[in-house]
Amino acid sequence: MKLKTIKNITFAVSFLYLFLIAIKLLETGIKTLGEEYTDQLFESVSNPFAGLLVGILATVLVQSSSVTTSTIVGLVGSGVLSLEYAIPIVMGANIGTTVTNTLVSFGHVRREQEFKRAFAASTMHDFFNLLVVIILFPIDVYTNIITRMAEYGTEMFIASGFSATNPNSPIKNAIKWGANKILDVFNSIPFLSDLNENSYRVYAVVLIVLAIILIFTCLKNVVSNMKSIMLNQIEFGLDKALAKGGGLFAILIGILITISVQSSSITTSILVPIVGSGILSVENAFPITLGANIGTTVTAVLASFAVDNIAGLTIALHHVLFNVLGVLIVYPFKAVRNIPVNLAKSLSAATAKRRYVALLYVLIVFVTIPLLGVVIFN
Amino acid sequence: MSKDSIDLIESKLSQMLTESTRMYDIAMNCLLSDTNIDAVRDDLYATDKEINKLHKAVRREMIIHSAVHSRNLDVPLLLSFMTMSKDIERIGDYCKNLFEIAETGNTFAKGEHADEFQTLKSDVGKMIIYLQSCLSLDDESKTQDLITLGQATTKSLDKKITALLNKTVETQYPVATTLFYRYQKRIVSHIINASTAIIMPTDKIDYLDE
Repeated sequence: MKLKTIKNITFAVSFLYLFLIAIKLLETGIKTLGEEYTDQLFESVSNPFAGLLVGILATVLVQSSSVTTSTIVGLVGSGVLSLEYAIPIVMGANIGTTVTNTLVSFGHVRREQEFKRAFAASTMHDFFNLLVVIILFPIDVYTNIITRMAEYGTEMFIASGFSATNPNSPIKNAIKWGANKILDVFNSIPFLSDLNENSYRVYAVVLIVLAIILIFTCLKNVVSNMKSIMLNQIEFGLDKALAKGGGLFAILIGILITISVQSSSITTSILVPIVGSGILSVENAFPITLGANIGTTVTAVLASFAVDNIAGLTIALHHVLFNVLGVLIVYPFKAVRNIPVNLAKSLSAATAKRRYVALLYVLIVFVTIPLLGVVIFN
Repeated sequence: MSKDSIDLIESKLSQMLTESTRMYDIAMNCLLSDTNIDAVRDDLYATDKEINKLHKAVRREMIIHSAVHSRNLDVPLLLSFMTMSKDIERIGDYCKNLFEIAETGNTFAKGEHADEFQTLKSDVGKMIIYLQSCLSLDDESKTQDLITLGQATTKSLDKKITALLNKTVETQYPVATTLFYRYQKRIVSHIINASTAIIMPTDKIDYLDE
């Protein structure tokens, strides 16, 4: 094994461990803040639509659904954010994350036909997630069916004796040990120690901010190191998917690439220039994107291993189920499958002639509507 | 940069050269021996299609490589692969042109230039194989030798074409022979161009005189 690969693996594992510690620190910070404050804090997402839009906005801001969903897992795990409030935010994160590859498609803006294909490749992900939210969001809000499935899944996990769900598991103990060490260092700083004793809420806010910065930094580093390790495998996978021309195999490739790099944006952003150049059709890239949508949910499941409350695992499983069900609803039926692809193609045809429309689309869908919505629903 | 995908592109370029050698041999055998043209036609065109398929595969591989390695991309290397694959593909096209000379009933199997044509066949065939080894070895001095040899060959072919045009040389099929030399020259020129892509800076590829 090359020295560079060993270095990348060491960094990836270390940052993953630090990421789990950051989730634990977030949980600790939120608990320190106290219920009366946190209840007020999350009152704004008590409306499911507001929650959905907050999820979109937060993810657009951090450019990573994994950061949003992991933070939500931490908040749910600390017990301050209920499943009911968290679910729409996670659904919003699914939509928000699609902005990254849409921005990548702007790199092809100089050439009309290339931009048309690249923009369609990126926005089919937007339309797919919007379609799934339109179908599943009201169903889950009114029937709680996916939530119940996720709760059942959590019970199954616990019953199976899976060590990460056990409060005294080696994984949880290792995370607690790391978090305690960081807190010890934190408390050894006189200023922070004073804050902890005299103004614990300010101390909690500092801890929460630090935890969120750590989550963001660690995930970014896990992704970049994993990408370095997996580059050849990604190329190999894409070659195979290209040869097979789509289908279930392409979904599997999308899942595997995304799990290996811990980022759906990496997978979908790689697809944009490939489709833009015309060597992969929008239709054949679609299943890889769907696979990426499923693969990205693994990060939240990993994050749930860091929290004590099993609700953290339930929200992570809800994320998995929501994205898997979305694929099961949309992909098997050609007529349904064609909806996001055709919508993306129609939009890209319009934007190819008037490219400012693409910019307007991003600003309206990912910024204006969520911002206005949050204001209106509150 | 990922070594594996670059290796894959190089191996496809090498396969293109193997197929080009095959096409060149088929076309030249039709012109320089009693080969049954109808019996080898399908083989020649199938080989040409195979070269085109490999050419497209090289381009696809480069796009995938660029998309995956967007941050550490060796752009000059990919540009050299792009130009090299185009030059190799053109060798196949000129082999088809040589075959078309044979198809029109012209044969150089006998006559006063037959030995010279056989030598030319052997030299150019060796140059294609030599290019293949330069590509895999990435050896600057070997590649420079090939360029020098190629330049000498094109100069000699130019002289023969000029002699034919000035009618200072007599031959049974003057038009076919002129075309024959011309196509040989184009094949050698593409070998030279592909060689420059291995060792020269991106902006100087194909421009030996500068």
